[in-house]
Amino acid sequence: MALLTVTDLTKDFGGLRAVAHFSFAVEPGEILGLIGPNGAGKTTVFNLITGFLRPTSGQILLEGRSVVGLRPHAVTRRGIARTFQLVKPFPKLSVRENVTLAAFSRLPARRDAEAEAGRMLESVGLADKLESPAADLTLAEQKRLEMARALATRPKLLLLDEPMGGLNPREVDQASALVKRIRDDGVTVVLVEHVMKAIMRISDRVVVIHHGEKIADDAPDRVVRDPGVIAAYLGTRVA
Amino acid sequence: MTRAAAAAGVLLLMLAPPLLTGNQFFLHLGITVLLWTLLGVAWNLLGGFAGQVSFGHAAFFGVGAYTTMILYLKGGLAPWYGMILGGLVAVLVSLPIGLICFRLRGPYFSLSTLAVAEIVRLVALNWEGLTDGPVGLLITTLPQVSLGGRAVNWESKVPFYYIIATLAALAMAATWRLSRARLGAYLLAIREDEDAAEAVGIDTVRAKVVTLALSAFFTGLGGGFYGLYYRYVDPDAVFPIALSVEMVFIAVVGGLATVVGPVIGAVFLTTIGELFRERFLVGHLIFYGLFMMLAIRYLPEGIWGGARRAWTGRR
Amino acid sequence: METLLQSIVSGVLTGSLYAMIGVGLTVVFGVMRIINLAHGDLVMLGMYGAFWAHVLWRVDPFVSIVLWVPLMFLGGMVVYRFLLRAIIPGGELNTLLYTAGLSLLIANLALFTWTGDYRTIKLPYAVTPLRPFGIAVPIPLAIAFALAILITLALYVFLARTDVGRAIRATSQNPEAAALMGIDVERISMVTFGLGAALAGASGVLLGPSLYLYPTVGEILIAKCFVIVVLGGLGSVVGAIAGGLLLGLVESLGAVYVSVAYKDTIGFVIFLLVLRFRPSGLFGVGKS
Repeated sequence: MALLTVTDLTKDFGGLRAVAHFSFAVEPGEILGLIGPNGAGKTTVFNLITGFLRPTSGQILLEGRSVVGLRPHAVTRRGIARTFQLVKPFPKLSVRENVTLAAFSRLPARRDAEAEAGRMLESVGLADKLESPAADLTLAEQKRLEMARALATRPKLLLLDEPMGGLNPREVDQASALVKRIRDDGVTVVLVEHVMKAIMRISDRVVVIHHGEKIADDAPDRVVRDPGVIAAYLGTRVA
Repeated sequence: MTRAAAAAGVLLLMLAPPLLTGNQFFLHLGITVLLWTLLGVAWNLLGGFAGQVSFGHAAFFGVGAYTTMILYLKGGLAPWYGMILGGLVAVLVSLPIGLICFRLRGPYFSLSTLAVAEIVRLVALNWEGLTDGPVGLLITTLPQVSLGGRAVNWESKVPFYYIIATLAALAMAATWRLSRARLGAYLLAIREDEDAAEAVGIDTVRAKVVTLALSAFFTGLGGGFYGLYYRYVDPDAVFPIALSVEMVFIAVVGGLATVVGPVIGAVFLTTIGELFRERFLVGHLIFYGLFMMLAIRYLPEGIWGGARRAWTGRR
Repeated sequence: METLLQSIVSGVLTGSLYAMIGVGLTVVFGVMRIINLAHGDLVMLGMYGAFWAHVLWRVDPFVSIVLWVPLMFLGGMVVYRFLLRAIIPGGELNTLLYTAGLSLLIANLALFTWTGDYRTIKLPYAVTPLRPFGIAVPIPLAIAFALAILITLALYVFLARTDVGRAIRATSQNPEAAALMGIDVERISMVTFGLGAALAGASGVLLGPSLYLYPTVGEILIAKCFVIVVLGGLGSVVGAIAGGLLLGLVESLGAVYVSVAYKDTIGFVIFLLVLRFRPSGLFGVGKS
């Protein structure tokens, strides 16, 4: 059974249809890339899945149970964690506290939650920054902090919104490796990304969204050759 | 260890004045400072920790005051029980307010609390059957109580001093406890970024509603005490916007999201205000406004926050 | 029928003054994202200005507007330049708290110097109202209404036709783009704050002869002002005018058809409903 099944998802903002009858499924253990031009509706899809927005219509099932209508914190507790396109750390709190807050969702005792936070930060390579305020980190570090924070909720499914946006090539490589390792540790990953090369390399499958509609859903090497995708989005220059 | 010593020291400082002086003005000053300590500490729970700046806490104060007075005058319930019930009624009032206002963020939240408080004030002003409207409610005598075989002298300020000192200490203890609990950590997360707080699994609405209820409880107790101490309430005295604003100022000037900050704020502002009022009768809030502006400009962490930073050395 | 007409007329007359207060607040919000909590106290200053001009110099309060408006304009610019400017980068809540401090300072300085006594401006021509078609129209309110329309029209022309006015509107719509186009946003903010203060002062002068004066009257005015600008959509001038008229009508009709006691409550309830369900305002022109 698919881990996440999205069926006929539609979202209207006033008169504007941001997402239109969008359907896709995420299989356990895969890395799924969700791509599309600016304003195609990628982040809206994430916001709909995680409860930050309520769908106009459509179904979202996690392991067969609907998550539509749940508030974001409840979705997180069901097992879907996310990061944000524009990073949202708790800027004045320490790096450790940032992640501890997320670990509280399963570990009510502070000592356990802090230990868990330490482990998560170790795994994303921030072990030497535990006591720094999150605001002092570089963008790349803040993105890793957000991943650690999401992982500390022990999700089944992790939604990453542009984890490589704004990073330099070396940092992109590190982030790619991290995403793969997260998957290898048993967390299913969906990522929205603009850094095309990276997404094509690490995704098992790619879904393309354009004007809120799905126009392709296939292996990366086939998606880049799909004439509809090329016309809509990739143009002729494909990595 | 040092914390226990500090707590004992604060307690001693709070309890000592009546033993040292019988001067009615100084006792009145002490009572006023402690009442505002209670209110500042209560406001700080929500406004400081959770960053939800309420301009409507006078609603809880007024509801607490009126509940105490009405239960005594019309139901014969001793005002000390009435005071606790006043706190609980303030909690009840806080629940719908929270559900309405917490949908909004930042300045919009602040404006909505102000509107709600105005609605509550207008209801108190016009529901004459219950509140006697603009005339207000007056208690002439307080019931007899004896403590350790001696009747409590309600004409003296000393019993009032100890009552309000106890309430303020309780509110401080609650703040200390909260700052160490998971809820306290959640509130800081909410203050920093509400979306991110939700995303890591924090039920932000619940955390805010619970904190508002706690804050309203202590504010309502304060209102009840006010009724007891002055033996008179009317809508202009217990529901004005200025009262809400004073609570905000005490917490901000003293230092947000700390246990001690609002205490410092209350001691500082109330003392200046009362001394000014003693001399000139009106306009004592000039200094509240002035120090608020100075604090925002030069000491955004408040007096206590600034002092603490100076103490630990600049980072 | 006559009651209905009478309350509509009173509602529109009062509403026009509400609108002017609201416009001052909303223009400032539009350009600087400041909710100026001291706006009601600036109105109060205008009211006292009219009062003292009448008592001390025997000047008709409405004539004194030519003195107070420029003074308030300058005062507003000074407040912006030397007080507010340094605060704005600290964020919306800090500015809100800062203007709350300013509000308390102004109101209590007034209380200290002018005492808390209720005062009225007694005008000989205020005694008998006009009675066109049997509807009572107090003369001071009629004059205020006419002047409010005149001032609002002048403001409209200023915003639409002059370079500074156009710069204000551009900054209001998009400060970054305005800065890129070479608009001196700092200067525009200063002028706008002056404009907001001048409008507050003008509304105060116009309201003076029709209301009781006391130093903390700003408290009630600012609360009404929020209702007005939120109804119309924060930042929208046209919205504030509509919101002001609407609140005036709601209050006067509410007083007759619902309850005199609860006429003010109705406004706040509408305010909460609008904030909750239509934060961009009833007319969908504001920005949320």
